[in-house]
Amino acid sequence: MTDQALLLPQEEKQFSLAKDAFIRLVANRLAIVGMVLVVFLFFVAIFGPYLTPYDFLSQDLMSRNQAPSWLHWFGTDDLGRDIMSRVIYGSRTAVIVGFSTVSFSLVIGIFLGALGGYFGGKIDAFIVWLIDITMSIPSLLLVIVINVSLKPPLVNWMDAQYVATGNQIYRNTIWVDFVLVFGSLALIKWPKAARIIRGQILSIRNKNYVVAAEALGVPTSRIVRRYVIPNAIGPIIVYISAALGEAMVLESSFSFLGVGVRPPIPSWGNMISDGLRIWQMYPHVLAAPAAVLAIVTIAFSFLGDGLNDALNPRQWK
Amino acid sequence: MTKLLEVNNLHTRFKVRNGYLHAVNGVSFSLDKGEMLGVVGESGCGKSVSMMSLIRLLPPAAQITEGEVFIDGEDITNASVSRVNAIRGSKVGMIFQDPMTSLNPFMKIGDQIIEGIVYHKKIARADALSQAAKYLKMVGISNAEHRLGEYPHQLSGGMRQRVMIAMALLNEPSLVIADEPTTALDVTIQAQIVELVKGLREKLNMSIIWITHDLSLLAGMVDRIMVMYGGYIVEEAVIDDIYKSPLHPYTIGLLKSIPSLKTEAGSRLPSIPGAPPNLFTPPTGCPFSPRCTYKVDRCQSEVPALAAVPGAGGDRPHRVACWVDMRGRGVEQ
Amino acid sequence: MNTHAQQKPLVVVENLVKHFPIKIGAFGTESAVVHAIDGVSFEIYQGETLGLVGESGCGKSTTGFALLQLHKATSGSVKFDGVDLSKLPAKDLRAMRKRVQIVFQDPYSTLNPRMTIGEALSEPMRVHKICPEKETQQRVAQLIRDVGLNPNVANRYPHEFSGGQRQRICIARALASNPEFIVCDEPISALDVSIQAQIINLLMDIQEKYNLTYLFIAHDLAVVRHISDRVAVMYLGKIMEIATKDELFGRPLHPYTKALLSAVPEADPDLERTRKRIILQGDVSNAIDPPAGCRFHPRCVYAAEICSQSIPELEDHGKGHRVACHRLAEIEKETA
Repeated sequence: MTDQALLLPQEEKQFSLAKDAFIRLVANRLAIVGMVLVVFLFFVAIFGPYLTPYDFLSQDLMSRNQAPSWLHWFGTDDLGRDIMSRVIYGSRTAVIVGFSTVSFSLVIGIFLGALGGYFGGKIDAFIVWLIDITMSIPSLLLVIVINVSLKPPLVNWMDAQYVATGNQIYRNTIWVDFVLVFGSLALIKWPKAARIIRGQILSIRNKNYVVAAEALGVPTSRIVRRYVIPNAIGPIIVYISAALGEAMVLESSFSFLGVGVRPPIPSWGNMISDGLRIWQMYPHVLAAPAAVLAIVTIAFSFLGDGLNDALNPRQWK
Repeated sequence: MTKLLEVNNLHTRFKVRNGYLHAVNGVSFSLDKGEMLGVVGESGCGKSVSMMSLIRLLPPAAQITEGEVFIDGEDITNASVSRVNAIRGSKVGMIFQDPMTSLNPFMKIGDQIIEGIVYHKKIARADALSQAAKYLKMVGISNAEHRLGEYPHQLSGGMRQRVMIAMALLNEPSLVIADEPTTALDVTIQAQIVELVKGLREKLNMSIIWITHDLSLLAGMVDRIMVMYGGYIVEEAVIDDIYKSPLHPYTIGLLKSIPSLKTEAGSRLPSIPGAPPNLFTPPTGCPFSPRCTYKVDRCQSEVPALAAVPGAGGDRPHRVACWVDMRGRGVEQ
Repeated sequence: MNTHAQQKPLVVVENLVKHFPIKIGAFGTESAVVHAIDGVSFEIYQGETLGLVGESGCGKSTTGFALLQLHKATSGSVKFDGVDLSKLPAKDLRAMRKRVQIVFQDPYSTLNPRMTIGEALSEPMRVHKICPEKETQQRVAQLIRDVGLNPNVANRYPHEFSGGQRQRICIARALASNPEFIVCDEPISALDVSIQAQIINLLMDIQEKYNLTYLFIAHDLAVVRHISDRVAVMYLGKIMEIATKDELFGRPLHPYTKALLSAVPEADPDLERTRKRIILQGDVSNAIDPPAGCRFHPRCVYAAEICSQSIPELEDHGKGHRVACHRLAEIEKETA
């Protein structure tokens, strides 16, 4: 009934957007390098401690500050501990903190961002105000305040509980460090997640395809499920990748300053801090954790850039 | 008539992620002093890019790979950047499509207009402003002295386009390139602007290149028309030839498919099948061949050259890029 | 294209008003009202196409959106088949949407990029339970064929298609729920010139095949003339003139309609050389503070005192040709 030849797109391939994005991601060499490194990091963080030749705590005072050798690939530190084992264990610290931080900030961010974006009006104004207030707090100061004001009473209370009940749960205070680090990090990071999600929902709600769905009589719940969420997912994935990298770097920075994870639990940050005292004589003590931290940072930024390009299709149209 | 502009075999391409997008593929034409040329084509046909290439006003990803451009006999493609800047400021004026975004919202109209002459001619601000007021009057803006002190948001779309035109004219250019200057405007405002430009052209005796996608708009305005498709000029002739005896299948199809206030309403429109070419994967041979109903085997393998049709066009050659002789097969008037 | 079936109005719009409150001023402290449409009345008969023309900001698209209740009207009523849509509860309105559909201007942004063409087309069928689940695919294929595409495009995504192809898909989606009435909101103005004729033909073909009624909104008079049975001309939120196509284009009465028609360029150099244009002075007035009296009077060469004082009503001048102008009789005498 029409006068034209059947009009077909020129390419014969049939891609979903997800597949299309994946193909673009794979085509980006730097993103692949980043992805391989990130996967390797997760693998090491999960299985590493079972593969290390030495215990990360065991000291060998006879072989202190040894240069890298076949026995100790990254050398040993000033207590004779194997640096490679400690770096591997440090990756677990970083990944635990990274994941907890990002999940916490996402939960808060999605809840508040979606609330503001969807309902608008006064609720939105309040949430935007909250975001602005939170973002204006200097993060380092906040972490130090939390550490100084919350940690000692918490640890004292746990000691008292241990004395009173004898329950082993109260004996190990290391996880307090972790909870405080990722708790304070999540407090700093949620506004960014909330802003991204709020922006996404606001812009998608006004997209013509949502109006079109409304005109078709599609119920609101289905519009949210089939039209709003799938289109908001791209930037959130990009955010997750970037936030993971950032959280790991921040964890290291705080540990370096002594307000994060404290020795003897290894973190790249406190290892760098330890190495800094003696690096002029024994540079390898500083080099190993610093290099790993740098590589991880770069890996996440490559992956983030790649994801960003891959998930924002049609930049040319 | 003397030649103001001469363009030989111009090629412009864009660097994109996986290679090049060939936007302009060998464009040659000339323009006389005082002549008005219409360049018509659909989005992506290369009409804007080729005309911006004339004064090298291109985004960083674009590059001119071949060809030469002479304005007043001066080679533009090989001139230094500062020389090209000087030419843009003195000999060539530009009018853009969107008068809403082409003006800086934080600068007063007057200051924006004189920006060019204060820079290029080193004249005093007060003199420049009185000059600007003169040109604002010329483009039909009443109360011009007062308008100089206003900001762009205080003017309507049609007024802003008049300001843009005044800006383009201020250096008394010999060539004005107008890139879809009325596309963003309503039809009654478009009629105002067209009348204005026609009047100014007679008064100032300048050459104008008017780029548009609207073939009907050019009929009452220009001397000559160049039709572009897929980065090539496919047809070029004086207006009567283009509308009365078009010789390229694309021009013919386009003219037939535009509904007008005179055609028989309610009937099916003769339409061109298919869609304009994708410049990432251009068709081999003639760019129009996939949509052409007259095509022969040769059309799909060789690009036809733009050549004068013998016996057509009178004193100005009627040039067509087509392997098929379309004489006598065009629009029935 | 049935000009004689004008007995039963399918859509009756009465005194429709839509004001958008906005915030102006540097800190958004002052509020103002945009008078997008200010009392618009018309009816659309079963099987016809009513063209709605006007320049940007005249309220033609707002009229379409308010008619479909995509914008809640400030006042006035829209009766579809006797039912007042503005008073329908949300659930009934949603059910009613299967009978009234829309084709939007921009085919690039009206398709969900995360849904295949097949999913997009089956969406209205699923929502309105048009056919049994297992017949959906078959019906999707039929719709795709109806709009001139190959049915194997069903599992592709919108980004693989050109503008014209997407507009075909949008038309198929509008057809999916078997509607009786479609609002075409500038369906061709975002498309390439050589594609526009294809889409106009398609819209006319499916109108005949499915016995549809159209409200065709556009700014291009030649296109409106081509596709419409009757035409309404809007200016700044008001209808200035409404008549059958032959009447409106053959015997335009309102000064604005005359100016609008005279501004349309023709692809005919001989005609253009001899043509006397009516060039309107000035710009369209601001919809935040529309002029008192006739909305057009600040630009009208025939304007008299009365024009700035009272708003002219649409009055019938024979053959259903209605015009809103105080000075029609004088103008007729003057130009005769």
